[in-house]
Amino acid sequence: MLDTLSTSLKDALKKLAGKTVIDRAAVDELVKDLQRALISSDVNVKLVMELSKSIRTRSLDEQLPKGTNVREHVLRIVYQELVRLVWVSTDVKLEPQTILMAGLQGSGKTTTTAKLARYFQKKGMKVGVICADTFRPGAYDQISTLCAKINVPCFGNPLEKNALKLTREGLETLKDLELVIVDTQGRHALEADLIREIIEINVITKATHRWLVIDAALGQQASEQARRFHEAIDIDGVIITKMDGTAKGGGALSAVAETKSGIVFIGSGETIEDLERFEPDGFISRLLGMGDLKALLERANEAIKADEVDVNAMMKGKFTLRDMYKQLEALNKMGPLKQIMGMLPMGNMELPDGVYDVTSTKMVRYRIIMDSMTSGELDDPALINSSRMQRIARGAGSTPDEVRELIKYYKMMQRTLKGLRGAGGGKFNMQRLMKRFSGMQ
Amino acid sequence: MFGGLREKLQAARNRLGSSIQEAIVTQAPPAPETHKGGPSASSASQKSISSAAPTFADKVKILIIDRELVVSEKDLSEALSELEMTLLESDVALTVTDAIIAHVRTNLVGKHRKIGASVDALVVGALKSALLEVLGNGFDLINYIKTHNRPVKILFTGVNGTGKTTTVAKIGSYLKKQGYTVVIGAGDTYRAGAIEQIGVHAGRIGIKIIQHQEGADPSAVLFDAVQYAVSHKIDVVLADTAGRFHTKSNLMSQLEKIRRVMKPDLVVYVDEAVAGNDAVVRAAEFDRTVGADAVVLTKADMDSRGGAAISIAHTIGKPLMFLGTGQGYEDIIPFDPVQVVEELLGSDA
Repeated sequence: MLDTLSTSLKDALKKLAGKTVIDRAAVDELVKDLQRALISSDVNVKLVMELSKSIRTRSLDEQLPKGTNVREHVLRIVYQELVRLVWVSTDVKLEPQTILMAGLQGSGKTTTTAKLARYFQKKGMKVGVICADTFRPGAYDQISTLCAKINVPCFGNPLEKNALKLTREGLETLKDLELVIVDTQGRHALEADLIREIIEINVITKATHRWLVIDAALGQQASEQARRFHEAIDIDGVIITKMDGTAKGGGALSAVAETKSGIVFIGSGETIEDLERFEPDGFISRLLGMGDLKALLERANEAIKADEVDVNAMMKGKFTLRDMYKQLEALNKMGPLKQIMGMLPMGNMELPDGVYDVTSTKMVRYRIIMDSMTSGELDDPALINSSRMQRIARGAGSTPDEVRELIKYYKMMQRTLKGLRGAGGGKFNMQRLMKRFSGMQ
Repeated sequence: MFGGLREKLQAARNRLGSSIQEAIVTQAPPAPETHKGGPSASSASQKSISSAAPTFADKVKILIIDRELVVSEKDLSEALSELEMTLLESDVALTVTDAIIAHVRTNLVGKHRKIGASVDALVVGALKSALLEVLGNGFDLINYIKTHNRPVKILFTGVNGTGKTTTVAKIGSYLKKQGYTVVIGAGDTYRAGAIEQIGVHAGRIGIKIIQHQEGADPSAVLFDAVQYAVSHKIDVVLADTAGRFHTKSNLMSQLEKIRRVMKPDLVVYVDEAVAGNDAVVRAAEFDRTVGADAVVLTKADMDSRGGAAISIAHTIGKPLMFLGTGQGYEDIIPFDPVQVVEELLGSDA
């Protein structure tokens, strides 16, 4: 479903690609697809309507900057509008402070508390945790086990039923520490007693930050819940959890819009290290289902040294087995091919499905086979006849069939790249393209 | 929980109703002698008085009794797009919303309806059939237990933080009240504090729990739980598992192993009512890899509009069994689709 969605978004962008004059109908279509993309990412429907309105007006009204085409123009506006929403300055200072965690049941507060403790601990701060969850059985066991693993003092008492008393005692016990994180029980906005409780905890702790933990899968409720939490304790930051699933985290966007705060951290895994500072680029790409431009750029830089893969030579049609070998090696570092292609915002490029079918184990096999080839064969695969094929197969411990398959794959890649060159009108340059998109903000 | 959705749907329903009403009014004057639409009886006859003379009586008769109205796509488009917004705002996933809208549209557009049938009923009927079709039948757990060999083994699955453990405790308490004996298998051996959590619950509701230490093989724990139930002639085994994301293939194959080892009679997929579009993705994935026989929707008390129920039911076509509606053990209600739909749309039609 998401595939088809991002395809339609890409199709809409494709229509704008070659244009130098803004086409009202095409912009309208793009805005419509954009709305669908955002809604299916769980962004609040009203927010989507407001956003798309301003994107539409800006796209039509603003002058097309010199040297850009309509697609880039519109994409940049989309990007800017979204960044404006999520990128409120959320400085995380390394100074003495108290952090109060709030959120719905099961959103991941306790896990995130431990992750945060670890994060600040690694930055060299003395951290302590107060477990003010007096309701859920096992809550104290959970946080104290996690804290023990990283040697962070954890204050709590599973027998105490008064969260306020616990918090007071905890603050007293941990007063020598620089940073105290208060984990609270999950609650939702309609539980008046619990909302009152967290207001009082907030008063007692005089918390420096009050962060709202939002499950990436949270839907339209995000706005309402965030608003009520904000009314109660003045939320000044949002943490998105469970970003390692398939959820897009649109609820968090609704929440920051509602609380006028920013996204502080992203949790994306079950181990205590799986917490990252928020990066708007990756998040927005994911919301739009268009691939993570910035992350790709970074990973590409890490994986490929400039001289390793000569993209331009490849585009000129000079693509040998040697190039493919390097490519497979680089791809291995970057992740599966389909993912990488998905990350590139190339609406005008269609790869045949067969290209994707090469799984990572296959890639390894291919590389082993290529290791058994002579350099002559690598430079000119046409040399490989059936007797050479026999030899290569024997050398690589595989079968001639597999070698044949490799040659077939090579030919397909070669054809594809030639096709690309045609489609991109000779302008296609992967590096330049990436650079352009990374400089968009 | 469905309060929000109900309000919205009522509004949409009125909107649809009035748009059809308008359609009829506008269609009536130009062609009173054809079989094209006539408005509600009174306005139709007023209009025909002006244009008709000799066959007036016939015309009135045709208008009132034999007239059919034709609903065109154009009449509905605005109202349907409003209904679409309503569903989206209620967390019904985009794909599912599309399906429902399409269903209502095909059900209304081009249909000839007798004028006698009220427009309101027409719309409600279409919506109702769409929703009922999506929600399917409920799942009667008690009946299932009655008709199956003991022990009935129930495996609970779902992503992290949806409320599996709490749900296990609630269902345990529910079954105990119904007079069944229950044992709980503490299959979440991964998350810190999970065994303690389910242990405390089991202690409070007075149910035997089978547990190993943290980090143990969940299949082994649950196998032991089943063995215990067999040897002690216990009616129901409730198997808790660790939350896992459908994207983690190692954890999903662990779940498959659990299923192979304990051979559950029922696999219950637990998700939260507040989940948005991802509910569809993960339900489909869980259903594909380990299967799901029934669904429990938790956190239905969070003022949610219940769209997730519709999304999940539509995606995997499995019945909803329970709704979790609060933090107490008694906060669980069997899901009855007819009742929910009646409540959403009003029982007047």
